[in-house]
Amino acid sequence: MKVAYYPGCSLHGLAKEYGISVELVCKHLGINLNEIEDWNCCGATAAHSLNHELTISLSARNLAIARDMKMDKILAPCAGCFSRLKGASYELRNNKALAAEVAEIIQTQAPVEPEVNNLLQFIMEEPGLLDAIKSKVVKPLKGLKLAAYYGCLLTRPKEVVQFDDPELPVSMDLILKALGADTVAWGHKAECCGGGYAASDTDIVLDLSGQVLESAQKAGADAIVVACPMCGVNLDTRQEAVGALKGKKYDMPIVYLTQLMGIAFGFYPVQLGMKRHLNSPFPVLQSRGLA
Amino acid sequence: MLNTADFYHVWRIDQSSNALKEEIKEHCHTDIEMCLECGKCSGGCSNAHIFDITPRKIIQLIKMGEEAKLLRMDALWSCVACQLCVDRCPSSINIPRIMDYLREKSYNQSIPASRPNVELFHELMLGHIKRFGRVPEALLSVEFNLRSKQYTKDAQMGMKMFFKGKLNPIPARVKDIKKVRRMFRNMPMQREG
Repeated sequence: MKVAYYPGCSLHGLAKEYGISVELVCKHLGINLNEIEDWNCCGATAAHSLNHELTISLSARNLAIARDMKMDKILAPCAGCFSRLKGASYELRNNKALAAEVAEIIQTQAPVEPEVNNLLQFIMEEPGLLDAIKSKVVKPLKGLKLAAYYGCLLTRPKEVVQFDDPELPVSMDLILKALGADTVAWGHKAECCGGGYAASDTDIVLDLSGQVLESAQKAGADAIVVACPMCGVNLDTRQEAVGALKGKKYDMPIVYLTQLMGIAFGFYPVQLGMKRHLNSPFPVLQSRGLA
Repeated sequence: MLNTADFYHVWRIDQSSNALKEEIKEHCHTDIEMCLECGKCSGGCSNAHIFDITPRKIIQLIKMGEEAKLLRMDALWSCVACQLCVDRCPSSINIPRIMDYLREKSYNQSIPASRPNVELFHELMLGHIKRFGRVPEALLSVEFNLRSKQYTKDAQMGMKMFFKGKLNPIPARVKDIKKVRRMFRNMPMQREG
């Protein structure tokens, strides 16, 4: 299985610790990640908000490069990038007129392959991978109560993603349990954090991310686990502002799934970029003897 | 005495126009005549509580051909595209795609966005993609603050993030940038990064 890797802009920037930990745990698991050569930004919210042809073209070029690299699968750990790539490939398959237009723009045949996976889907559907993860655990995450947070785009829209339940997903819970952790039952697993409005309309983020934080706290979670840079950044950076609005204090660690995989595999938290969070996960990890 | 007119705005069907409905069918590949009027879209909507027009009403307004109202609604600029509406719709009406279509149309007609900062942010981001092929997040946020005249917005948080190594001061570039710029040929942009 040859795996193409699409880090996207955030894994090199705002969510560097996600990128670092994805690369580290994949290497540890013997998965060779081939970064898509000279990839471009997926266009994110900006492109699909203002120009349909542009958003499909941006992803089509990345898909075409992965196809020309003869890859079997693309791993896009960012849920936003995943959604753009997967959505483009779905649209190119079903809309022949658009596919022809896009082919003319990117000057190569519009690709529908290779298949695009987000991190959860990759772990669950790659044969034997979940067992391999289990067998690599040397430091089980015993005693950690985690809120698995999926957000919108890891499982929706269902017709395009075709993975897990769109509103009550379980895959991340299963992965965390394989690492030895406990997960809480809570109501905001697949609610939106406010995503792309982080800077442009922060009030929306404070409202929606605030509901997610509140729900996780009420469920008694030690930390929220994410597999999306937007979820990670919004939930980590806005706690002070949400707290000010609600007249209370939040200090909920927000960690990426791959960081916890790394901890369970025996890596040091610093190797996994865990000093980069605004709400430090160290106190929780230390209290469970994990750091 | 309460006057019902204060609470309910009466919309009358404009029989003269099926154009918008047909246009949406052609471009969004979704048939709003399949709408069962059940309201699950609005029930699931992440932002229904702040929308001026909720998804169920948006579908109804399309049927009525109320294009002018739709192209000016605030919902275009506050939708989070969380895909709950389409996933809950028993007829799989692709409302997120319809929202994108209407926003694009509104933008191309230079209708002022009800949330100008949202539109500005999108444009600046696309400007960076056109220039570099990738998004330099630090540069984009500084530029957004300057252009939206919110000079101190998130400054303290930005400093913290910089020291946590989350903001790259130097933009990464796509080598084959001509390929990326070609994609922008049909994209009218008023402001660029």
